[in-house]
Amino acid sequence: MPRADVVVIGAGLAGLTAAIALADAGARVELVARGHAATHWTPGGFDCAAPPSAPTSTVGIERLAAREGHPYGILAGDVQPGLAFVRSIVGEAGLMYRGELEDLLRPVPTAIGGTRRVGIVPAGQGSALDRWSADERLIVCGITGFKDFWPSLIAASLARPSVWSSASAGAGDGLAADADPDDDRPARVEAVSVGLPGQAGRRSINAMELGQAFDDAAWRREAFGRIARAVEASGHGPGRIAMPAVLGIADHAAAMADAAEILPLAMFEVPLVPPSLPGLRLYAALRGAFLRRGGRLSIGEPVIRMETDGRRVTVVVLSAAVRERRIGAGAVVLATGGIAGGGLIGLADGRLQEPVLNLPVEAPGVEDWLAEQAMCDDGHPLERAGVRTDAQLRPIDAAGDVVYDNVAVVGSLLAGQRAVAERCGDGVAIASGWRAAATLGSSSGAALRGSLQPTVAGSRI
Amino acid sequence: MSPAQSFDILIIGGGATGAGLVRDFARRGLRSLLVDKGDLGSGTSGRHHGLLHSGGRYVVKDALAARECIDENRIIRRIAPASVEDTGGYFVATPDDPDEYVDAFAAACHASGVPCEEVPVAELLRREPALNPAIRRAFRVPDGGLEPWGLIEATVADARARGAQIWPYQRAVAMELTAGGRIVSVDLADERSGSVTTVAPRFVVSAAGAWAGSVAALAGIKLSMAPGKGTMLIFNQRMTDAVINRCHRPADGDIMVPVHEVAILGTTEITVDDPDVYGIGRDEVAQLMVEGLKLFPDLARMRLLRAYAGVRPLYKDDQPAAAVKDGREISRAHLIIDHETRDGVGNLVSIVGGKITTHRLMAEQTVDAVCAKLGVAEPCTTAEEVLPGQGDAASYWLGHRLAEHEEDGGGDADLICECEMLTRASLDRFLDARWPCSLDDVRRGTRLGMGPCQGGFCTFRAVGIVAERSATGTLPAQPEGLSPEAVDQILLDFLDERFRGTRPIAWGRQLQELWITAGLYGGVLGLESLSAGSRPPTAEIAPAIAAERETVHAQG
Repeated sequence: MPRADVVVIGAGLAGLTAAIALADAGARVELVARGHAATHWTPGGFDCAAPPSAPTSTVGIERLAAREGHPYGILAGDVQPGLAFVRSIVGEAGLMYRGELEDLLRPVPTAIGGTRRVGIVPAGQGSALDRWSADERLIVCGITGFKDFWPSLIAASLARPSVWSSASAGAGDGLAADADPDDDRPARVEAVSVGLPGQAGRRSINAMELGQAFDDAAWRREAFGRIARAVEASGHGPGRIAMPAVLGIADHAAAMADAAEILPLAMFEVPLVPPSLPGLRLYAALRGAFLRRGGRLSIGEPVIRMETDGRRVTVVVLSAAVRERRIGAGAVVLATGGIAGGGLIGLADGRLQEPVLNLPVEAPGVEDWLAEQAMCDDGHPLERAGVRTDAQLRPIDAAGDVVYDNVAVVGSLLAGQRAVAERCGDGVAIASGWRAAATLGSSSGAALRGSLQPTVAGSRI
Repeated sequence: MSPAQSFDILIIGGGATGAGLVRDFARRGLRSLLVDKGDLGSGTSGRHHGLLHSGGRYVVKDALAARECIDENRIIRRIAPASVEDTGGYFVATPDDPDEYVDAFAAACHASGVPCEEVPVAELLRREPALNPAIRRAFRVPDGGLEPWGLIEATVADARARGAQIWPYQRAVAMELTAGGRIVSVDLADERSGSVTTVAPRFVVSAAGAWAGSVAALAGIKLSMAPGKGTMLIFNQRMTDAVINRCHRPADGDIMVPVHEVAILGTTEITVDDPDVYGIGRDEVAQLMVEGLKLFPDLARMRLLRAYAGVRPLYKDDQPAAAVKDGREISRAHLIIDHETRDGVGNLVSIVGGKITTHRLMAEQTVDAVCAKLGVAEPCTTAEEVLPGQGDAASYWLGHRLAEHEEDGGGDADLICECEMLTRASLDRFLDARWPCSLDDVRRGTRLGMGPCQGGFCTFRAVGIVAERSATGTLPAQPEGLSPEAVDQILLDFLDERFRGTRPIAWGRQLQELWITAGLYGGVLGLESLSAGSRPPTAEIAPAIAAERETVHAQG
């Protein structure tokens, strides 16, 4: 039976962060996942904390850390180093990010003409973070035949001041005193739609197809030429262009460089519904970094069973194509996600199940799972459900006792967060992945291969 | 106020019965107006089980109802073939079903004229392998699937072609009566704009179903309905090709109907006070699952899409007190109430009770009664002619959408709703014909958002198309376009509407789906920044959702 120092289960941001950091520390790491994760449908930035009225991510993290039971209660100090680590990793692949935790959170446009408050975004979305000058216009540029980006809808909505001011709710918070929400928005918003080369008459172009087309240098230079002409025809003066986030998959950086050269105005990408190309780029960069470090990756092999010895997991059993695959595990990082990712399953009888290790799950009673409306400011109470851990991220039960000594729980599976309302999911994923690696790999790789005993005394959080 | 418009007949209530009435009146040469407080088919008709009854369900207890069902079943197949899927059906006896009932069933079918043939259980299980192998006996009957919205649309199209007027979103709010007890005029309030129109009909027919009590009250009449809530569960896939009924005394959770690409298990029976206000509890869902498991042992592993409920138009006044307590004991038969003899209001009748399978007959009998009062001798002709747009004898089949899709360009047809294979061309046709409307109206007409993602991926696309047409001035009767607030409201209303039906069954895969939808709209699309602004005045929004807001919505 093959053995790994650490088996990481789940290939999202948390699992990949932990896997890469452990591989860096010299551990033999095997990353297994049932399928792809939230990277494939989230905007590809690093949302660390944007609870309403927090002016910066740093302040947001502090405030969330002060909320009882929030993962930042134990992870607040890991966001900064974890983020620096992940940025350096994806930078190896040329994937650059813009923004810092201390920066003011900024409203950036969304694909339905709303705004999201963000701090750190891929460079391709970066110019959306700049303050708007008084006479600046925004040109929302759609692609004819593409059905997941509707420029008329977006432009009409973004023309409303309320959409921009509601998102800069931190203005009243002192720290944002220099930002004047009354004029920090485009003076005008316009919609254009451009037919791209070779797509005349097409009616059902998808994001992947466009992304691949923009990877072709000759094609995209012609495409940007058409967009430039449409933008020039739409008017004059300073401004920015918002485009759907389809500008290349493998060759995105070069595509953005061509855009900067050819387009008359700065352009930024607007994230879309799945498949998210910015997320795919992030996944590809992390995956490449893990493989370069000698990590072993299997997507499509779900865990079907764990073998344990007392409070230790000893073997991870996977369902491979036609057989079971067993991996001896020194330790396990559980990065299987929350409800959306399948790491938590809601049962008809009102219980929540953690399907891999049947860990204790903290959750509200079934009558309190959901709010009355689909969308509400605080989200659904069930969002906070998850596995509670000690400071080393070892799962604990309701009495506070550690359930498994050599398991670290990371990412959306952690109890106490509300990823939508608090916009903290990426930060929790990175910080917990980083913390898990630091805890499990604090000794040398050689030591890792021996016994992965916890090094810090656990405490209930 | 402009002078009242005069009509021979005003029909209040635009479900299947109201549609059947306006068609029948129009075919007999009477100038008719059909109004509904909401969209056509947005009440009980749009929330039925999807079942075209063979009559088998009623043979043991109510031979007349059974006979009416089989007669009308045959007529609907003939006049509305595109709204019927000829699935066939079985009555099956599980180990829980008493022999006395099973033994009586075949004979009762024979007596009522419902074709019924006992089939070997082995043959049944070969055809329908998802069924409980412990089933002991099985009888084949001519049940079918019945699509309500297409049926209603085709029925009123026939009426329109004969000069009838159809006014959705017009709520009857007042009636003026003479001292002698005749209705002189009826005020209709537009649910969208609030403006009031007065009409002066010679005769008024209330086909308001579970809402008939409040219509009668406008004429000062007390009419007690016992709205019977029936809850149904929609599963993500068809488990059988045919309708499956338990062969026992009708009870909860004992019918599974394959409808389009889903399957619907129902129903419960709970008397509610107000047909507009009811919820669906997890206990009801659990009760349906317990019964459903007796038919389908693997049911707990099937993915649920949503729960919905309709309110049966049951009539309380003439029922024994015991029956009112148990809604299943209230007769499903229909009743024409002549308010001249009952209440002294000379030109009003109410048609209550009944079921969608017999809607045409209910209309025929009601129109006969009204024509007798008006001295009109024209005979009923609604059973003969095929409804407009219902094509030749071909009935609906499961591959319809795929065939339309291929005709519309196949691989490059722009699917707006992938789950339901709805193309942009179909959506545009609906908007051309029906704007102003809500996305829930669009759903009834096109099945938008009725698949597994429950609107997660198609809602913002549909809204994008509405916004694009608004910007280009191509929404019918809306050249000035919609405000962004109105567009927001269309989006939020549909997300809320889809959420309401998911909420009672939010576990497993559908909870996961709900989380992804919340992540998309809240996380990726920043929905909260839209609703932060003030909500728009109702008048500006095309759909009149306000009245519907408290209701748990229709199937799909």
